Amino acid sequence: MASFEETGPRRPVIESIRVDRISPGARTWRTIRALLSLALALIILIPIFVMLITAFKSRVDITTPPPKLIFTPTLEGFVFLLTDRAIVTAGRLAEFQERAAAGEMNLFERIAFEGGLEITGPSDYVFRLRNSLIIAGTSTIASVVLGLLSAYAFSRFNVPGKGDLLFFILSTRMLPAVVVTIPIFLMYRQLRLHDTHIGMIFLYTVFNLSFSVWLLKGFIDEIPREYEEAALVDGYTRLQAFFKIVLPQAVTGIAATTVFCLIFAWNEYAFALMLTSQRARTAPPSIATMLGSGGLEWSAIAAGSLGFLIPVVIITFALRKYLLRGVTFGAIRQ
Amino acid sequence: MSSVKAQEMSTTASVAPRRTKARRHLSDRAIQNLFMWPTLALLIAFNLFPLFYSLYLSFTNYSAIARIDPVWVGFQNFRNILQDRQLWQYFATTGRYALVSVGLETLLGFGLAMLLREKFKGSGLITTLILIPMMLSPVVVGLFWKLMYNPTFGYLNYILGYTNPATAPDWLASRWGGTPVPGLALWAVVLVDVWMWSPFVMLLTLSGLNAIPEYLYEAAAIDRASPWFQFWRITLPQVAPLLLIAVLFRSIEALKSFDLVMGMTGGGPGTQTELIAVNLYRQAFLGQWQTGRASALAYIILIIVIGVSNLYIRYLNSIKGEA
Amino acid sequence: MATIELRQVEKKFGSLHAVKPMDLTINDREFVVLLGPSGCGKTTTLRMISGLETVTGGRILLNGRDVTWVHPSRRDIAFVFQFFALYPHLTSKENIIFPLLAQGTPRAEAEKRVSEVADFLRISHLMGLRPGVLSGGDQQRVALARALVRRPEAFLMDEPLGALDADFRETMRAEIKRLHIAEDATTVYVTHDQIEAMAMGDRIVVMSEAVIQQIGTPAEVYYNPANLFVARFIGSPGMNLVNGRFADGAVHLPGNNHYPVPQEWLPALQRAIGREGDVILGFRPEAAILNENGALAAEVYASDMHGAYAMLHLNLNGDQIVHARAARGIRYPIGASVRFDLAPDMVRFFDPRTEAALPWEVR
Repeated sequence: MASFEETGPRRPVIESIRVDRISPGARTWRTIRALLSLALALIILIPIFVMLITAFKSRVDITTPPPKLIFTPTLEGFVFLLTDRAIVTAGRLAEFQERAAAGEMNLFERIAFEGGLEITGPSDYVFRLRNSLIIAGTSTIASVVLGLLSAYAFSRFNVPGKGDLLFFILSTRMLPAVVVTIPIFLMYRQLRLHDTHIGMIFLYTVFNLSFSVWLLKGFIDEIPREYEEAALVDGYTRLQAFFKIVLPQAVTGIAATTVFCLIFAWNEYAFALMLTSQRARTAPPSIATMLGSGGLEWSAIAAGSLGFLIPVVIITFALRKYLLRGVTFGAIRQ
Repeated sequence: MSSVKAQEMSTTASVAPRRTKARRHLSDRAIQNLFMWPTLALLIAFNLFPLFYSLYLSFTNYSAIARIDPVWVGFQNFRNILQDRQLWQYFATTGRYALVSVGLETLLGFGLAMLLREKFKGSGLITTLILIPMMLSPVVVGLFWKLMYNPTFGYLNYILGYTNPATAPDWLASRWGGTPVPGLALWAVVLVDVWMWSPFVMLLTLSGLNAIPEYLYEAAAIDRASPWFQFWRITLPQVAPLLLIAVLFRSIEALKSFDLVMGMTGGGPGTQTELIAVNLYRQAFLGQWQTGRASALAYIILIIVIGVSNLYIRYLNSIKGEA
Repeated sequence: MATIELRQVEKKFGSLHAVKPMDLTINDREFVVLLGPSGCGKTTTLRMISGLETVTGGRILLNGRDVTWVHPSRRDIAFVFQFFALYPHLTSKENIIFPLLAQGTPRAEAEKRVSEVADFLRISHLMGLRPGVLSGGDQQRVALARALVRRPEAFLMDEPLGALDADFRETMRAEIKRLHIAEDATTVYVTHDQIEAMAMGDRIVVMSEAVIQQIGTPAEVYYNPANLFVARFIGSPGMNLVNGRFADGAVHLPGNNHYPVPQEWLPALQRAIGREGDVILGFRPEAAILNENGALAAEVYASDMHGAYAMLHLNLNGDQIVHARAARGIRYPIGASVRFDLAPDMVRFFDPRTEAALPWEVR
C-alpha cells in the first residue's frame, strides 16, 4: 500500500468515501462482494427461472428426461390453465378445420385445436383468481383500516389492560392454522358461512389484524403527540386531529402494513383449503391440484404460479422503501 | 404553533371538547370505544370463542362428520396423545426441522445482509430479486420443488450432475440409486424452507444494519480498530435485537409449517416429513375426522409454541435491557 | 505537535463543488476555527484533514509529511464527533483505553494514562458506566478523553457542542479551551456558531459556499471584515450595511441623510469608487453614537432591552433598518426621531459590485 499512499488514485475522487476505503485492497474486496452477491442471487433465482421456462414448455418437453434448456415455447400451459376444453367430435372436425384455415381462430383456440380440443369457456382458475382478488383485497383493506383505528386507540388512550390485550392480539398469530380451523370450521358450518366469501374475508381480516394493530401501533407511537395536542388546543376535535395530522404521517406505516397483509392473504393456502370448496375457493388450493390427463399438469401449474406471483412482485417492488422502514418500526416496538 | 399551551395541556390525556358553532363532537371516550370495539369484537368472535370451543371439544370424542353430539371423555384424548409414541416422533421431526431450517436461514440471511449492506452498482436490484422466493405462495413453492427434485426430469439432479436416474438421488423418496437413505426427504424440505425464508431474515437484518450510525465506524477507523472488533462490538450488538425478532418469527412459523410440506411430500415418504401440523390436519379433516382428539393435539401444540415464544421474548427483553 | 497545511485542497461530490480549491496553513499549537453556515464546506474540509473524506484535488500535509492518501488511523490525529461516537457496549473506561490498546500500548501504561486523563476531565467517577446512561455533557467529556488519551499531533473537532444543551455548551467551551492550553495541542474546530468561534479561536477561517471568505483573528474578522458576508455573519446582530451613494466627499443615504466621509477614507473611496458611485456603508451597533446634533437622522422602529444596554432598531427613512446600541436608562418610544453619529474609526466601506471591503490602510 506504500505506493498508493504516495501517489493516490489515478482518477480524481468525486464520491463521498473514506481514504481507507479507496485503496486498491478495499476496492478489490468491494468487487468480490458484488460478484459474490450476484452469484448468490442468481443461484437463488434458479428455481424461479425454472418455473418461468416450465410455464412455456409443452407437456412432452417437461416430462421427458433429461430436462431441456432449449425448447420450442408454447402457450399450452396457459391454455390449460385459463380455459375449459372439450374434445372436438368427428362430426365437427371439418367445420373447425375450415375456420382454422380461414384464420378466424384466435391464438388460444388454435392451440387447443392442435390438441384436438375446443374451448368451451373460462376455467375454474379464472373464477378462483377472481375470488382471490375479492377476498384478499377486501380483507386487506379491512384489516388495515380496523388495525389503524385500534392502533391509534392503543397508542393514544389509556386502554384498560393494554399490555395484556396487546400480547393477546400478538399471540393469535402464534397458532397453527389447523388449530384455528377446527372450531372455525364447525362454527362456520353452523352459521352457514362455510365456503362463502364473507366467511373467508372475516377470517383473513382477523388473522391479519393481529399483525396490523401491532405494526401500526409502532408507527403511531413514533408520531409525537404534541402535534395533535396543539391541534386540539387550536379547536379541532380529536377526530379531525386524527384525520388531518396522524393519518398523513402514518402513510409509510400504512403502506408497509398493507403490503405484508396483502402478501399473506393472497398466498394463503391452509384456511382456503379447509374452509372452502366450490364457491369461494381461492387460487392457491386450485393451483396445487391441477390434474391433467397425465397426472399433474406442470406447465399449467407453472403458468398459474407465475401469474399469481406477478401482482405481488409489482406491489412489493413499488413499495420496497416502505417495507424496509416498516420492518424496523414494527419490530423494535414491542 | 401554540406549543407552550400544548405543553401545559399535555399532562391531561384527554381534552374536554369545546363547543364551537353548536356542533356535537365525539368525546375521547366515545372515540376510544368506536375505534377499538370492532377489532375487539372480531377478535373475540374469531379467536377467543374458537379457542374456548376447541378446549371444550378436546375433552370430548366428537367427530365432525358423525351426526352425534359430543360426548365428554375427560382427559382421555390427552392421555392417548401423550402416550402415543408415534406422535412424539412427529414432534421430534418438527423440532428437528425447525431447528435446522431456522439455524441455516439465520446464517444465510445474515450473511446476505452483510454482503448487501454497502451500496454498489445494482445492489438495490439484487436485494429486491432475492426477496422473490419469499413472495411466493408456500404451497406453490412446494409443488415446484417437487418438480425440481424429480429424479427423472427434474432440474436439480441435472444441475448437480446426476444425469443417470438409476444412480441419482431421489430426494423426496429418500432413496439414492436404489438404496433407502432415511431422512433425506426431510433435508430436502429443509433446503426449500431455507431457500424461501432466508430473504426474510436478510430483510430484517438489513434494516438493522442500515440503522447503525456511520460515525461509530468512522471513530473505529480513526482508532485503528480491527475488522473483528468492528463486527463484534459495533455491528453485532446493534443488529442483535432485530435478528432475534427474525429468528422468533421464523421459529414460530417453522413449528407451524404446513403449506410447504403439503405441497411437496404430503408427509411422506412414510412419515419422514410428517410435521405435527400436517398430522393434525390428517386427524381432523381426513379419514376418521377425529375432531375431539385433534383439538386436544392442537392445544398441546399451542402450549408448546407459546412456551417457546415466551422463552425467546424473555431473552430478547434481557438483551434490550442491556443496550 | 503539528502544523497542518492544505494546498489547493478541493472536494467534489459528482458535479457539486463542496469545497473549492483552498490554501490554509494551521500553525503549531494554534486553535483554528472553521466557521460558516450549513453547507459552506467546513465539515467536509475537517473530514478531509482527518481522512474520513478523500480529496478530489490538492494535498494535505501534517508536519511536512504528505498524508493525503494515508489511512486515517495513521495520520496521528484525534477526531471528536458531534454525536460523540462512543462504542455503546463498552464502558467509559473501555472506550477511552481502546485507541491505546489498538495501537499496541502496554496495558499498565495505558491504564495509567487513562486515569490521568479521566482525572483531568473530572470523569473518573464515570469509568464503569456505559455511555447510554450518561448525560450529553458527560458523554462528550468521555469522547474528549478518548481523543486526549492518544496525545495526537492534532485534535479535529466537528461541532462537538452541537448536541448539548445551551447551559452545558458554555461550560464545555471553557473545558475544551483549557484542554487545548494544557496539552499544547494544535486544534481545528468546526462550528456554525460565531459566538463560539469568537470566544475560542486563535484564528477564525470564515467559509461560505465552498470558499474561504476570510482568515483572521477574532478581532480582525470583527473589526475588519473582508467582505459583506463576513460583516453580516460575525457579530450579533451583524454589521449594519447601508446602501448609499458616494459623491462630493460624502455618502448619501436614504432619508436625506448625508454622511461626511472621514478624511482618512477619502483616498480609498476615490480609488475604488471614483468621483461618484454606489457604495455600502458599514458600522456595528456600538459605532452609532446617539447625539441630538448627530449627522444622521432616523426614526425608532423598535427597541429591545439587552440587560446592560438597549438595542434600537432605527429606520433610516427608507426601508433600511439599522441597529444601534444605546444606554439602558433612556426611553426611546416607537416613532421617535433620533439623530446619531458614527465613530470615525469604526466605519467601514464596501464595494457593492465586488462585495469586498475597501482597504483600511492605503499605502
